[in-house]
Amino acid sequence: MSETKTTEGWEPKIVAIVCNWCTYAGADLAGISRIQYPPNVRIVRVPCTGRINPFYVVKALQEGADGVLVSGCHPGECHYITGNLHARRKFAMLKNFLSYIGLEEDRTIFTWVSASEGERFAQVIKGVTEKVRALGPANKLVKKIA
Amino acid sequence: MENIEKKLREEAKLLLAEKRVDVIIGYEKGTLPFTATPCFITDPENAEKLVWNACCVQNLAKFVHDVISQHKESQKRVKPEDRKKKVVGVVGRGCATRSIVLHLQEKQYDRGDVVIIGVPCTGYIDGKKLAVQIGGEEVLEGSVEGDQVKVKTASGEKSITLKDVLADNCLTCRFNNPIISDIMIGENAPPMDPDHEYDEVGAFENLSTEERWAYFTKEMGKCIRCYACRQVCPSCYCKVCFVEQSQPRWVGIGADETDTQVFQLMRLFHMVGRCVDCGSCSAVCPMGVDLRKFLKKLDKDGFDLFGNRAGSSMDDPPPLSTYKENDKQDFIFDP
Ligand code: SF4
Ligand code: SF4
Repeated sequence: MSETKTTEGWEPKIVAIVCNWCTYAGADLAGISRIQYPPNVRIVRVPCTGRINPFYVVKALQEGADGVLVSGCHPGECHYITGNLHARRKFAMLKNFLSYIGLEEDRTIFTWVSASEGERFAQVIKGVTEKVRALGPANKLVKKIA
Repeated sequence: MENIEKKLREEAKLLLAEKRVDVIIGYEKGTLPFTATPCFITDPENAEKLVWNACCVQNLAKFVHDVISQHKESQKRVKPEDRKKKVVGVVGRGCATRSIVLHLQEKQYDRGDVVIIGVPCTGYIDGKKLAVQIGGEEVLEGSVEGDQVKVKTASGEKSITLKDVLADNCLTCRFNNPIISDIMIGENAPPMDPDHEYDEVGAFENLSTEERWAYFTKEMGKCIRCYACRQVCPSCYCKVCFVEQSQPRWVGIGADETDTQVFQLMRLFHMVGRCVDCGSCSAVCPMGVDLRKFLKKLDKDGFDLFGNRAGSSMDDPPPLSTYKENDKQDFIFDP
């Protein structure tokens, strides 16, 4: 897969794993408010960032995502009170570890977007898309499909 | 050492004779020179078989978990009033007791299910290092005398400094004495060299991204996925491991190199706050994969970020089971 991917005509494919209560609603608000943002993200909705198995991130990378974004409620605003605080620890470790084994740091990005931050959601997607575009197509950990 | 061994046998015999434990998990002499095998002793007379020396490699906490959980499973079909309790005695050095602390924190069994015979530890011999020292020759006879290892091979006798063949994790071990124990044999051992614990990780961090990736892929490229590292790990006790799950199938079972990388990546990541650096995985790996390089990073980050060292104290919960409101979040993207 990575062999056939060239930078020319290539568009970053980004998987965004977002929580139902904040970031997903934030994305909705961005849509309702007709705020423009790059169409490079595929959103996966989960109940809470605390529900995200770090394996989801790794799996997305293996299946050919050029970048993975994880976003939830701001600390203190979690629908389930502490889900995102637990997740924050997991992701701090995950981000460090993925970069330690030699993946580019900007392939995995973590952030918070609340339900009222449609504008911020658009900014995040713009920012992430630019970062991933700068890195080029993913070629590490990507499973080649015969 | 002989003294410790003698006392260990006495205590083990007493525990079994007084029926305070049903089984003692310890080490017995292996069939080859420089080996000791985990053993299960139920007859007080057999306590004589126990050994305690620099050839005791495996972390016995693995077997404590196995025996207790199998026993609990076997009691499920027994009427509650007929259920039997089984108490496991174990020879516990530093890293084994850390694993037991972890099991207790993770509510795998109760403190009363296990009797820990604490032993001071001065590290074990890494078979791979020893093989290098003697040029890969077959060991015919061998013994450890003080800080010298005497080896006899076909081409003659050789004396090696013990320190040169101790396992890496032992050289920098921070907790070489039991964290918890019911009976302590002998005096606490002198500390190893924990100040240089993270030297290797630090050096690796300073390499470039590409160099690190090249190392990771090179090491994981050796892996044949025999899963010996998982089998021996006291922290790997899931009834169904993700590598064998089929709904969903997390990781492919073919020879694809990324599947191996992903398997390793996730197994390593399951050790966040749970690796006690006993070195068992590296010791059993038939391919010599440098697992410790990556596990030690998780240990370092766990300490740097959350001040936690796996199993180092009953009062320090596993870092991913808890949180602080002011946990570091400088990695959070802010456009
Ligand atoms: S890691 Fe520490 S406690 Fe474990 S065998 Fe080595 S020196 Fe002993
Ligand atoms: S023991 Fe070694 S070869 Fe076997 S699965 Fe583990 S890392 Fe791979």
